[in-house]
Amino acid sequence: MLDEATPLFMQIAERVSVEIADGLRTEGQRAPSSNELAIRYRVNPATAAKGLNLLIDQGLLEKRRGIGMFVAAGARERLLVAGRLRFGRKYVEPMVTEAGRLGMSTDELVALILEFGGAVGLPASKGSVTA
Amino acid sequence: MTAAISVSGLTRRYGRQLALNGVTVDFEGASITGLLGRNGAGKTTLMRIIAGHELASAGSVRVFGAEPLENSALLRRMVFIRENQIYPEFKVRHAIRTASWFYPNWCGELAETLLEEFDLPTDRAIKKLSHGMRSALGIVISLAARAEVTLLDEPNSGLDAVARRRFYDLLLREYAEYPRTVLLSTHLVDEVADLLERVVVIDHGCVVLDACSDDLRGTATRVSGRPLDVEEFVAGRLSWGRATSRSHESVVVGGVLDDADRLWARELHLDLRTLSLQEMMVHVVDQTTEDYARETVA
Amino acid sequence: MSTLVKVVRYHLVKPDNLVFVPWAVLVVGFAVNVMVVATTFGGQSTIRYMGTLAALYLTFSVGGVTSITRALPLGLGLGLSRRSFYLGTVLTAVSLAVVYGLILALLQAIERWTHGWGLSMGVFRAPFILEGPWYLTWLMSFVLLTLLFVWGVWSGLVYRRWNLIGLWAFMAAQVIVGVVAALVVTWMGAWHHVGHFFVTLSAPGIAGVVALFAMLFLAGGFATIRRVAV
Repeated sequence: MLDEATPLFMQIAERVSVEIADGLRTEGQRAPSSNELAIRYRVNPATAAKGLNLLIDQGLLEKRRGIGMFVAAGARERLLVAGRLRFGRKYVEPMVTEAGRLGMSTDELVALILEFGGAVGLPASKGSVTA
Repeated sequence: MTAAISVSGLTRRYGRQLALNGVTVDFEGASITGLLGRNGAGKTTLMRIIAGHELASAGSVRVFGAEPLENSALLRRMVFIRENQIYPEFKVRHAIRTASWFYPNWCGELAETLLEEFDLPTDRAIKKLSHGMRSALGIVISLAARAEVTLLDEPNSGLDAVARRRFYDLLLREYAEYPRTVLLSTHLVDEVADLLERVVVIDHGCVVLDACSDDLRGTATRVSGRPLDVEEFVAGRLSWGRATSRSHESVVVGGVLDDADRLWARELHLDLRTLSLQEMMVHVVDQTTEDYARETVA
Repeated sequence: MSTLVKVVRYHLVKPDNLVFVPWAVLVVGFAVNVMVVATTFGGQSTIRYMGTLAALYLTFSVGGVTSITRALPLGLGLGLSRRSFYLGTVLTAVSLAVVYGLILALLQAIERWTHGWGLSMGVFRAPFILEGPWYLTWLMSFVLLTLLFVWGVWSGLVYRRWNLIGLWAFMAAQVIVGVVAALVVTWMGAWHHVGHFFVTLSAPGIAGVVALFAMLFLAGGFATIRRVAV
């Protein structure tokens, strides 16, 4: 189920983050309890709790004394920003490196991006429909 | 925090054979710890001594600060149904009924639910149960007892894959609602890996690995490819399990590989495969173990 | 529910070895006796003593063995201390022995009243030790049943702790003790003293000697169980 390399609690935190980023869990909404997560993902409750604590440390969840954990304000925005940064590092950097190795110019690279982007239905610029 | 179970220098000798050799390990209060190792490694002996079923030759065991041997008040808080447990000429319902008298936290409804979940016929004689059903009976008693210290000796032995899945889910659910100290010994390490907070590996009566399962994740990777490339990648790192042929080499590398490492491996056209907990355990037991435990987990 | 009571209940959940088997064996033995006597011997006025009762005692003794071999492992698994298990088991046996003694006394009375079940049979009587008033029969049966049970328990424990070799040694030791005692008596030329002692001893006296041995075996069993492993 979960991958072998990353610590489990980080994977749990990741799953919850994805729910927030996708808008499935909105600001002010209750976060899943560690027991819920433990049973859902079939992991030890302590691991699930560690994952939730990680999200609190990252400011994505907040703890309200005596009541529980809730999605923090601005969590979604922050996740999307962080996601873009990660996207850049993970995909764009290797992509431009590879493009350089193949002797492409930035223009040629952009043309390629537009071509593939169009095929997938990515809007050419923010707000507009497909290119 | 004082550990719930504290084992110190525990030794058990049978004639000239050392079943346990100076075992020192602590088990925390609310936790699920995996007791892993080969057959005859000493896992069951350790659990038997913790439960007061067997006596130590040397060393000590403390449960909640007291010695468990002949300690009624303490024994009441522990449950240990072994693999191949001997029962009187009972039917299933007799065993359940008897168990219900001995545990202050016993939950009858849970026992009934569990019996149904495992399809255990209450009116069948225990000696007529299949191996898997006997394991299931042990699980029912162990979980329904809701004992503060729950020792599970190869509980999934003989259970088919579906029943095993049910058991793990039930264990998690019960543990989440009523946290307790759980020791679980098993061969099927990968199946339970996600449930375990800690793993303790025992080999030839000694503890060869004692670590948080999260810390162990991803700390061993098998690297394969052309021998020269593999050697270049592996240089300076802790490695073992080398398998070389003329055109291909495969070796296990210790330590966590970060993104840079992975990128480099991709450039060298090397194949990376993270070792599962079970594979790690096999390696740990196969080779001289102290180094591994010290260098990878530190 | 006190722990000892729990142990008693545990033994009585399925009381085959302690209740049904001993009495079933007796009933069968009795039936066989009736058939044999009725078909072979004609009317007789003197009592013919039959040893069928021994079967009850012996199977009860076996119950002592199985209480260890079959009931101890689960008992410890469920959190009983060896001490609690031992005392509870002995309590169970003693309680049963009290009741069985009464039943045997009753059967003896009926036997006397029917003049040996109409066939001059002496199943529930034995010369000297099981004659006399009902309370002496009860006392004798009670201590004898207890002795044999405790002996069975001790044997079972010896077997669990030291296996077959240990059991053989245990039996051999008892035989040796007996032989040595006999040799000592012979050497001291004291057989007539021994004979005199037993003849002058009343039935309650013999019961007392039996009880003494029972307590000896009780202590022995307790010492043995302390280091038994399951």
